[in-house]
Amino acid sequence: MLHDPDLNSYLFIGAVLFVCGVICMATKRNAIGVLMGVELVLNGANVNFVAFSRYTTLGLDGQIFSLFVIVLAAAEAAVALAIVLNFYNNHLTVDVDRGNKLKG
Amino acid sequence: MVGETLQKLLMTAWLLPLLGFVVEIFFGFWSKNPRHSKAAAWTAVGCIGAGFLCSLTALVMWGTASNAFDDGDAEGWMSQQADINHARHPHHEADSSEGAPPHEHEGADHDAEHHGSSEAGADHILTAVATEDDGGPKLERGQTVYSGTIYTLGVFGSLELTLDYYIDSLTLVMFTMVTLIATCIHLFAIGYMSDELTDEYVDHFAHKADGSHVHRPGRFYRFFAFLSLFCFAMLGLVLAGNIFQVFIFWELVGICSFLLIGFYTERKTASDAANKAFIMNRIGDFGFLIGLMVLWTYFGTFRFGDTMVDNEVVDQGLFSMVHRAEDGNFDRDELTGDVLITGTDGHVLTNEDGSNRQIPYYLLVVVGLGIFAGCVGKSAQFPLQTWLPDAMEGPTPVSALVHSATMVAAGVYLAGRFFPMFVQEVLLTIAYTGCITLFLAATIAMVATDIKKVLAYSTISQLGYMMLGIGVFGWAAGLFHLITHAFFKSLMFLCSGSVIHGCHHEQEMPKMGGLLKKMPITAITMLIGVIAISGLAIPGVIAFSGYHSKDAIVASALAFKNANSAHFLLFFIPLLTAGITAFYMFRLWFYTFWGAPRDQHVHDHAHESPWIMTAPLLILSVFAAFCAVGGDHGYLYLLLTGDEPAHLEAGVTAVGDGITLPAIQDIVDEHTTAGTWALVAAVSGTLIAYILYGTNFVNVEEMKRQLAGVHGFLTNKWHFDELYDALFMRPAHKVAAFCAWFDGAVFDRILHGAAKATVVVSKWDRVFDENVVDGFVNLIASATQSVGTSLKVVQTGRLRQYVMFIVLGVVALFAVMFTTFPG
Amino acid sequence: MSLFFTIFALAACLGAVAVVISQSVVRMAFWLIVSLGSVAGLFFLADADFIGAAQLLIYVGGTLVLLVFGIMLTASGPYMKIPASPGETVVAGLIGVMFLSMVFSTLPASKEWKQSPNYIAETVTPEFADSSEGNTLRPLGFALLGVRPDVGQDGAGYLLPFEIASVHLLVVLIGAAYLARAKRRQDNA
Repeated sequence: MLHDPDLNSYLFIGAVLFVCGVICMATKRNAIGVLMGVELVLNGANVNFVAFSRYTTLGLDGQIFSLFVIVLAAAEAAVALAIVLNFYNNHLTVDVDRGNKLKG
Repeated sequence: MVGETLQKLLMTAWLLPLLGFVVEIFFGFWSKNPRHSKAAAWTAVGCIGAGFLCSLTALVMWGTASNAFDDGDAEGWMSQQADINHARHPHHEADSSEGAPPHEHEGADHDAEHHGSSEAGADHILTAVATEDDGGPKLERGQTVYSGTIYTLGVFGSLELTLDYYIDSLTLVMFTMVTLIATCIHLFAIGYMSDELTDEYVDHFAHKADGSHVHRPGRFYRFFAFLSLFCFAMLGLVLAGNIFQVFIFWELVGICSFLLIGFYTERKTASDAANKAFIMNRIGDFGFLIGLMVLWTYFGTFRFGDTMVDNEVVDQGLFSMVHRAEDGNFDRDELTGDVLITGTDGHVLTNEDGSNRQIPYYLLVVVGLGIFAGCVGKSAQFPLQTWLPDAMEGPTPVSALVHSATMVAAGVYLAGRFFPMFVQEVLLTIAYTGCITLFLAATIAMVATDIKKVLAYSTISQLGYMMLGIGVFGWAAGLFHLITHAFFKSLMFLCSGSVIHGCHHEQEMPKMGGLLKKMPITAITMLIGVIAISGLAIPGVIAFSGYHSKDAIVASALAFKNANSAHFLLFFIPLLTAGITAFYMFRLWFYTFWGAPRDQHVHDHAHESPWIMTAPLLILSVFAAFCAVGGDHGYLYLLLTGDEPAHLEAGVTAVGDGITLPAIQDIVDEHTTAGTWALVAAVSGTLIAYILYGTNFVNVEEMKRQLAGVHGFLTNKWHFDELYDALFMRPAHKVAAFCAWFDGAVFDRILHGAAKATVVVSKWDRVFDENVVDGFVNLIASATQSVGTSLKVVQTGRLRQYVMFIVLGVVALFAVMFTTFPG
Repeated sequence: MSLFFTIFALAACLGAVAVVISQSVVRMAFWLIVSLGSVAGLFFLADADFIGAAQLLIYVGGTLVLLVFGIMLTASGPYMKIPASPGETVVAGLIGVMFLSMVFSTLPASKEWKQSPNYIAETVTPEFADSSEGNTLRPLGFALLGVRPDVGQDGAGYLLPFEIASVHLLVVLIGAAYLARAKRRQDNA
């Protein structure tokens, strides 16, 4: 039953992480939860990059891409947290449903 | 050089009045008390007086120069003149190169002797007696003409706009005469116009709608500004070296006369008279313009004389472009009969294709008639004479200026100036026009009662004499009369002004009478003028200027009649009119100054004018009496005829059954005869006037009743105004009424129709615009809005829904792509 | 090898699912640590030792600490749990299932890729990769400096993106500090 992992196994895990992240973004009303969903989505993508780096001729470029993704995700998390704090300062809550000023 | 000095002097005399005008019109009002200041008047007098001194200097200089054959200084000048003459008049080569052709020497000291016997006069001219010793005037009748360009205004291709000058004896004499008379009139006007020196001038002849008199500020300075401009224009006209320049100043003279005749612009009569004068002149000027066009087309130049630079002709003038043969006729093409156009050396000019340059003979007639039409308008000849009497509405000094030195003189002057270009047919027209005019005006003057009107008709009549003189080849006689007439007519007008001033603007002679004692100076000077114009004289003892000049004209007419017996009227009518002239002039004098006062009120208030008005009278009376002393041997005549047209000397021989024009000799032969007849006519006219108005032998009123028909006819000025009214005014009104009807009925209807159509189209356009165009735009807008409104629902503002939308979108996109591109 | 892979894969997937299911933010953070740490393990298994190390250091050690700080700063009592409506949860679940099945349906297409059992091990020559330093550390460092010995002259270096990333981090640092600085409340002004 247990066989050596191949490209599809990694892609499967990446897809699961990605979909979990999306659902997390879609359902969590807590802004921090939404952020976590984003992190999950990015990790799903990273898994794919690394897998293609390992199993296809993409090679080292995939790893470098995932490295940049990690860096930018960290940056994004920092800015997003700052925004969340601002949001909290203004609304005294982190419920993203309260931030519906864009309603048409 | 004499020529340059003359030019500078005359330019100074010409431009000074312009300076005066500018100063008066722009600075006249800026003095401390403008309405009361006489500064403008003295400026004007100073300018014109200085101009007179310049002109006089120039005249004396010219006389000296043309006389000084033996002076070493003048030798160069004379030889130069000889060269010019050589070039211009090759057929006179023999005469001119000699410098002093023998038969041209004259002596004026033989004046009395000459009047005694015609043979004696003839001898003097023919036999070249050297009379230098007796101190008489020794003037050489050389062709001493200076012409050239003062200033080039602009060059447009072959067209050169230049200010030219043309100085000959006529120019100089005219300059002196104009400036002298204008100076006197300026002085007189200071007194005459002094009631304008007020802030509140009441015009008793102008009424407002409610019947009250017009009150206005005085216009003293403005009057003198106009006078200065008038003088400038007239002098410019005389100095002008090309005929277009003449035309410009001609119009300037016209506008000045318009301004001055209409000086009392509040008076309806005055403004009407100004309009009439201006419009009548336009009729003549139309002919003038036609003449100018023909001249330009065929000759390509407007210059009178040749422009000389270093004895070389650089620009040929009109006068040397037509060449007269020995018999006085123009050189003509043998086949076509066209007049040949020649260069300065007398050779025929050729066109580019080698053919001779020539102008059809009839067009030369058109030129002459056209130019003369201008003269007719300006000099108030038949049939355009009606404006001049109306021009009496202007202040009397203006009348004096207009009637003597400036406006009307311009016409005669131009006829004299342009004389070399006139052909026989034109001259005959001029003669008959003058003849009709002089008779017509004289008869009207017999019955006129307004003192200024009498003088006005007298002026027309005398102008007729001048034109007649020019027309019958008495060029010198006509212009001689122009000068003498200018003196005595300005004198008489100023006298009448003095009378009017003294009688508080009463102009009707029937209300005057017996003013001799009240206004002695005016009366005596007036009498001098009357004697002068009447041509009275005691032959051999004393003769006033009018006698000499009129005598010369009648003599010319007699010689003309002798040469062309068919035109006997040209002699008899002027002779008869000489009597009429004496009659109406003495009638005027007796009416005004003689006998018992007819209106005691006027008589009681009459007074002699102040010295500033009488002094000019005295000056002018001296000139009126003695300016022509010596007749055709006197200074004035000799100065005037120094540069007379060359073909006068020998006359013109008739071609076929054409007109023969008498030579000077023929005219001189008739002097005694003509003089005698004229004197007889004048004396009889005087006697009749004395009997009718000087004594009580005949009841004048009774005569008037008996001759009511004739009297009425004359009083109504031969019904000329009515005739013109019927001939021109009413048809013009009819045409105007028709035009007005046509305008209203046709044009307006078309226009209204077009306007209505436009309105209808506009309404449709509006409907289209509102419904279709706006509807389309609104549809787009509302569609956009409704789409936006419906899409607004999607914009929930909820972040988490957006995520779901994104996911759904990706899934949907995938599904679409998967089904569309299954491979 | 496949045993570790299975463990890490299950941990990663289940951790992710647990993040979705958990209602408490703190628990979500915990499950996220589990999930991300397992992904790091998967990286090690895929011969990406430096990426795995970076994952552990930056994500688990950096980003998650940051998130926990965020939770502590914002999540006071009543806001610890903000439940979503059941309808939304169901809809989100359905959409998730749809998306997952969509991705799964494309998985067979990965056979089209030019596959290799271990491409990195083939290309990264021993001269570059001292096994004591790990397989990819030195090649990655060269690549970030713009040198690509593993693919020869045709390979592209990443010096410029590296510099851009560094400047980007600086900007983010300043921007985050600016956004999160203590401000006076509007109504206090």
